[in-house]
Amino acid sequence: MTRILSRPSFLVIACIMYMILITPFTSYMRNKPIEEKLGYLPSVKVLIPLSADQKELTAASLVMKVLMYFGGIVGKTQDGKVISEPPDLKGMSRLLHGAVQLDPYNMDAYYFAQGFLTWDAKQFKVANALLDYGMKYRTWDWYLPFFAGFNSAYFMKDYAKAAEYYKRAGDLSGSDLHKSLAGRYMQESGQTDLAIAYLTAMEKGEKNQALKKNYQIRLAAFHEVKRIETARDRFVAEHGGSPVSVEQLVQLGFLAPAPADPYGGRFYLEPSGKVATTSKFAFATKNK
Amino acid sequence: MIYIAKTTLKGIFRDRVFQGIMVVALLFLAIPAVALLSMRQVAELSITLSLSLLSFILLLLSVSLGATSLWKDIERRYTFSVLSLPLSRSSYIVGRFLGFAVFMILSSLVLGTVACLVIKFSSSMFPSPSGQPIVWWYVVAAMLFATMKYILLIAFAMLFSSVSTSFFLPVFGTICAYFASSITQQVYEFVNSPASEKSISPLIKYASTAVYYILPNLAGFDLKVNAIYSIAPNPIGLGLTVLYFFAYISILLSGTCLLFGRREMK
Repeated sequence: MTRILSRPSFLVIACIMYMILITPFTSYMRNKPIEEKLGYLPSVKVLIPLSADQKELTAASLVMKVLMYFGGIVGKTQDGKVISEPPDLKGMSRLLHGAVQLDPYNMDAYYFAQGFLTWDAKQFKVANALLDYGMKYRTWDWYLPFFAGFNSAYFMKDYAKAAEYYKRAGDLSGSDLHKSLAGRYMQESGQTDLAIAYLTAMEKGEKNQALKKNYQIRLAAFHEVKRIETARDRFVAEHGGSPVSVEQLVQLGFLAPAPADPYGGRFYLEPSGKVATTSKFAFATKNK
Repeated sequence: MIYIAKTTLKGIFRDRVFQGIMVVALLFLAIPAVALLSMRQVAELSITLSLSLLSFILLLLSVSLGATSLWKDIERRYTFSVLSLPLSRSSYIVGRFLGFAVFMILSSLVLGTVACLVIKFSSSMFPSPSGQPIVWWYVVAAMLFATMKYILLIAFAMLFSSVSTSFFLPVFGTICAYFASSITQQVYEFVNSPASEKSISPLIKYASTAVYYILPNLAGFDLKVNAIYSIAPNPIGLGLTVLYFFAYISILLSGTCLLFGRREMK
C-alpha cells in the first residue's frame, strides 16, 4: 500500500480523478434544494463556554450564517426558482437572539432582525424587545431607538411609546427629524402639553434659523390643538356630551378666534374626541 | 538565565516558527474583504476579525511553545547538557519562560502592526454609521492584554510540562485550562447570584468558588469588546489585571521550578 502511495503515477491518477469529480460535485453543491436549513445550533448556554474568548467572533459568524441563508433564498427567488417552503424566520430569529447574547453590541444582528422580524415575521413586540435589549448596551447609537420608534408608531400604533423612542433618538443624534417626530407622536398620543413643552425647549435651544422656524410652526400647530382641546373639555363640562365638530365649538363661542393650522390643513374632531388635522402636521407635497 | 532566554529565542527562530506565523498572518489580508459582508459595522467587524486572528495565533503559539518545551528538552537530552553547566534548574525554567515571553511579545508587535493597518484600511473605506470613532489606544490595549493572557497560558503549559513525560498532559491540560479559565468568571457570578441560591447546593457553590480562585481568570484580559465598540476600559481594573498577571505568573513559575527541581532525571 505504502509503495503504491509513493509512486508518482498514483499522484497523477489521483489528480485526474479529482479533476473528473470536481465539476459534478460543484454542480451538485450549487443546485442543492432550497430547503437548506440554518442547521443545528447548540443552546447559547453551551455556546458561551465553547466560544471562550471569541464570543464576538462567534456572534459575527452567527449573523453571517443568517445573512447567507436569507441571501441565498432571496437570490434563488430572483433567479426565478420556485421556493418550496418559506424562510425559517423562527430559526433566523433564534440565531440572531443567540448572537446578541454572545455580543450584545453587534449592530448587524439588530439591524437585520429589525428588517425581517417586522416586515416579514410581523413580530413587532419581539423586535422592540430585542431593540430595547440593544439600547442597554449601545447607549450612543440613535438607530436602535429610531427603529423602535418606527415600529411603535407604524406597526403597533403606540404613539406614546413612539414619542419616547424618537425623543431618545433625537437626543442621541441631535437630528431635527427625530425631534419633530417625537413631538408629533406625543401629540397623537394625547400628550399635547408634553409635546408643547418638548418643542418649546427644542425651539429655544436651536441656533439654525431654518430649523428654529420648523419648530415654531409645529409649536404653533400644537398650541392650536391645545386651544381646541381646552374648548372641547369646557363644552363637555357644560353640555355633558362631546361636541360634533370644531366648527360647532367656534359657533357656540367656546373657541375664538377660529383655529388655523399653520400647515394649511383643517382641524377636526375624531369620533373619540381627539383633535386631528387633515395636514397631519406636515406641509402638503405635490407629486410631479 | 539570560543565556537560556537568548538560546530559547534563537531556537524558536531556528525552528522557523516565525515564518510559520507569517504564513498564517497572510489571513489578515483577507479581513477587509470579509468585513465588507457586514451591513452596519464594517470597521467593527474588521477589528473583531483582526483581534480574533491575533488571539488565535497567540493561542497556538502558547500551546505549542509552552506545552512542548520541557518534556521535549528532556526527551532530546538537551536538558542534561544544559544543566551540566553551572546553572540552576530554576534559572533554566525562568530563562526558557523569558525566551518564550519575548517571542510572544515580538510576534504580537508584528501581528498587531499588520492588524492595525488592516483595521485602518477597512475603517477608512466604510466608517461606522453610528458615528463611533475607533479609539486606537483601546485596540492597542486589547492586543497588549491578549499577549499577557497567552504569556500566562505559557506559564501554565510549562507547569504541566514540568511533570509530564509526554505531550498529552501539557497540550490537553493547557487547552482545558484555557477553556475553563475563560468561563470561570461567568460560573462564579452564576453560582453566587440570587437566582441560583435555591437550585445549587452549597457544596457545589464552594467547589466552584474554589476552582474560580485556583484557575487563572483569563476573562479579565479580554478587552475585545472595548476595542471593537470603543468602550472605555476601567483604568483601575486594568491596573489590577496587570498586578494579577504578575502575581499569578510568579505562582506558576515558582510551582514549576519546585516541581522541576524535584524531578528525577534519568
